Amino acid sequence: MFLALADVFAFISRFFRELFLPPYEFKEIIRQCYEVGFRSLLLISTTGFITGMVFTNQSRPSLAEFGATSWLPSLIAIAIVRALGPLVTALIAAGKVGSSIGAEIGSMNVTEQIDAMEVSGTNPFKFLVVSRVLATSITIPILTMYTIFVALIGGFLNVNMTEQTSFTSYIQEVFGAISYVDIFASSLKSIVFGFTIGMVGCYKGYNSSKGTEGVGKAANAAVVTSMFLVFIEELLSLQIVSSFR
Amino acid sequence: MNSAMNKPGKTDENSVISIRNLRKSFGDLHVLQGIDLDVKQGENIAVLGRSGTGKSVLIKIIVGLLKPDSGSVVVLGQDVEQLSAKEMDTFRQKVGFSFQSSALYDSMSIRENLEFPLVRNVRNLSRADVDKAVEKALDDVGLSQTINQMPSELSGGQRKRIGIARTLILNPEIMLYDEPTSGLDPITSIEINNLINEVRERINATSIIITHDLTCAKTTSDRVAMLLDGKFERVGTFDDVFADPDERVKQFYNYNFVN
Amino acid sequence: MSTDSTKRNITVGVFVLLGIIIFIAGIFVLGGQQKRFTKSIKIIAVFNDVGGLKAGNNVWFSGVKIGTVKRISFYGTAQVEVDMNIEESSQQFIRKDANATISSDGLIGNKIVVITGGTTSHPEVEDGDRLKTVAALSSDQILETLQENNNNLLRVTKDFKELVGNLRKGKGTVGAVLTDSIVADNFKRAMRNLERASDNTVNLTGSVSKFASRLNTPGSLANQLVTDTTVFRSLKRSATRFESAMTSADQSINTLSRTAENVNKASEKLNNTNSPLGVLLTDGETANKLRTTINNLSTGTELLNEDLKAAQNNFLLRGFFKKKAKAEEKARADSLKAVQQQLPDSTASKP
Repeated sequence: MFLALADVFAFISRFFRELFLPPYEFKEIIRQCYEVGFRSLLLISTTGFITGMVFTNQSRPSLAEFGATSWLPSLIAIAIVRALGPLVTALIAAGKVGSSIGAEIGSMNVTEQIDAMEVSGTNPFKFLVVSRVLATSITIPILTMYTIFVALIGGFLNVNMTEQTSFTSYIQEVFGAISYVDIFASSLKSIVFGFTIGMVGCYKGYNSSKGTEGVGKAANAAVVTSMFLVFIEELLSLQIVSSFR
Repeated sequence: MNSAMNKPGKTDENSVISIRNLRKSFGDLHVLQGIDLDVKQGENIAVLGRSGTGKSVLIKIIVGLLKPDSGSVVVLGQDVEQLSAKEMDTFRQKVGFSFQSSALYDSMSIRENLEFPLVRNVRNLSRADVDKAVEKALDDVGLSQTINQMPSELSGGQRKRIGIARTLILNPEIMLYDEPTSGLDPITSIEINNLINEVRERINATSIIITHDLTCAKTTSDRVAMLLDGKFERVGTFDDVFADPDERVKQFYNYNFVN
Repeated sequence: MSTDSTKRNITVGVFVLLGIIIFIAGIFVLGGQQKRFTKSIKIIAVFNDVGGLKAGNNVWFSGVKIGTVKRISFYGTAQVEVDMNIEESSQQFIRKDANATISSDGLIGNKIVVITGGTTSHPEVEDGDRLKTVAALSSDQILETLQENNNNLLRVTKDFKELVGNLRKGKGTVGAVLTDSIVADNFKRAMRNLERASDNTVNLTGSVSKFASRLNTPGSLANQLVTDTTVFRSLKRSATRFESAMTSADQSINTLSRTAENVNKASEKLNNTNSPLGVLLTDGETANKLRTTINNLSTGTELLNEDLKAAQNNFLLRGFFKKKAKAEEKARADSLKAVQQQLPDSTASKP
């Protein structure tokens, strides 16, 4: 247990060491940003839109019970900006990106591609791990922005259809409810989520056991572990952010 | 019988690869228990042994992918263990490593796979130079038509050849083959064996071929080394080694040809 | 191959750029909403009690948001200094003699600073100016007024009881009763008290109705997310009660003002030295009016008493009553009863 923990810390500290040491794999980072970010955009946007719409619709009855449906925009804004946006993005990304990183690096490990890279004069840690973790840390916050944006539009469409709220007043209500702390906390949180997803995927893949079974296990463990960690971090961020509010 | 060539504790001046008393364990599994080996310039040596006896470990130590527990490995006059990260990169350009599983990068096309070691190691290469080198390397293994394909679209034999082509693109002085014929049908195996011999002729490389395929060992090597219980029990020409009445050697020979 | 990677680079570039644009747009809309990026001036107000005001709360002028609270710090021994950022564009409307009050944008809404008043004869405020403050009317204070009001009414009815008692006893002749300066004084005093009570009630009704209307505006509650529906329900219920209390208070005011009118008329006649005193009291109309007055007064008192009881049931005000009213309540109820018993008697026995 402690050995595993020490291993994880060694892995993370190696990441930070290699992050700042040249050479920098810019091309690979951009390639990974494309794979991780752009390729997930459609899925994550769709999910965000549905989340916004459904959440709005499901919140309506309980607010209507005491005649406060005019609160819906503020409620949606707080829920989406503070929690749902980052969380939904992170969970979808953990499922899509985390598993693919785990499986890809896992299979590269199993089929000696990592060794091959090393004997080709390339630092595989930098080429594979640093670029991927950087890519997730950059693109998942950006995907979160998209998710929040699209989810708020989903919420607006629902509110507009039911309560005939105008766009202007919706925007007023939404931005009246949130604060800078919310926006920055969400951004920071999603950077942490992105880092976690990339790190867990790479760690599990890099340390996968040999054989095809190892690849499946690595992919599975990457998803389960990163999702779990995302929730733990969500809880921690709640504590930290509330001390700033 | 060839003990004169392998005196422990002394490094042969003519040797390209010189290994002394090499030991390596993984937990309680002692795979290498004092290996001594000298390989001369231009010599092809086959390392034979059953699976899991540490044959691959040996060449991974030679190329610096694994660290030995004790003993010395001197390759091309350099102690592999003492190399800095930068020196290691230069050193590895001179040592080609053909992996058992070919280790083609799945996410890259054949062209990208082949140019990867080139672009990464040689600075200031023009696009035309890279393309020329890639085409030549592919032509050498007779697979020019696959240049824009992905590794997953190729057969096992083709992948093996591309793997060898990729290591050859840097014109190494030493070639290390890890199970070049494993998982291939006999005809493809023979093609690979021929390729290894072609490579030897073309670049006059020193080679170590890890295999448990006796046909491969016989056709490609000058000498064979038999790895038994973590040591080279028998080293010599193929015929000399298998003339040995030792039960373990006999068993290996019979087993190979019975199956 | 290289065109592929160029395409990819552009895609990633656009993707990242759009994400950052969304982020920055969010920041700016939020900043615009909070007037973070508009030019502003600082004004100060020192309050005795800010009632939970926080930095970031809004500042209103004529019901329009014109700025936010920047900082809250202690001042002197126990006072609180509130620094506010006011938009430069609204500077011209706020005069140096304007008042600042702590209020809220809903019964359970956020606290706000409300700037009121100010006359054009004074110059407009400048950066760093200090505004006068007015203590806000809290629900505690409203209740206190209510209590005072009731005491006044009590005194009025006592006076009348005395007066009527004297009349009934028929101290000497009717003329003697009326020329008796004590009786006349009593009567005048009763009238004054009545007037004061009536004024207080008007004020009180104003406050209550303001309170109730705020409670009924759903939008004003929007800043606080009430998760507890029971709290909200009971609030709503108390709002309704407040409203009915208000209606009955209105009624009692009507009654009271009618009474006051009657008494006024009566006293006019009394003060009129030209009119013979005998005529006044033998005049059936006047006698009837006096009787109605007394009747009205008693109904008014009763209604106000009911209001108080209703208010007592309100959970918001419960604590206040527990402390203050319990002891008084009994005594008051007794005396009211006595008055009510005596009044019909007296009027009935009067010819």
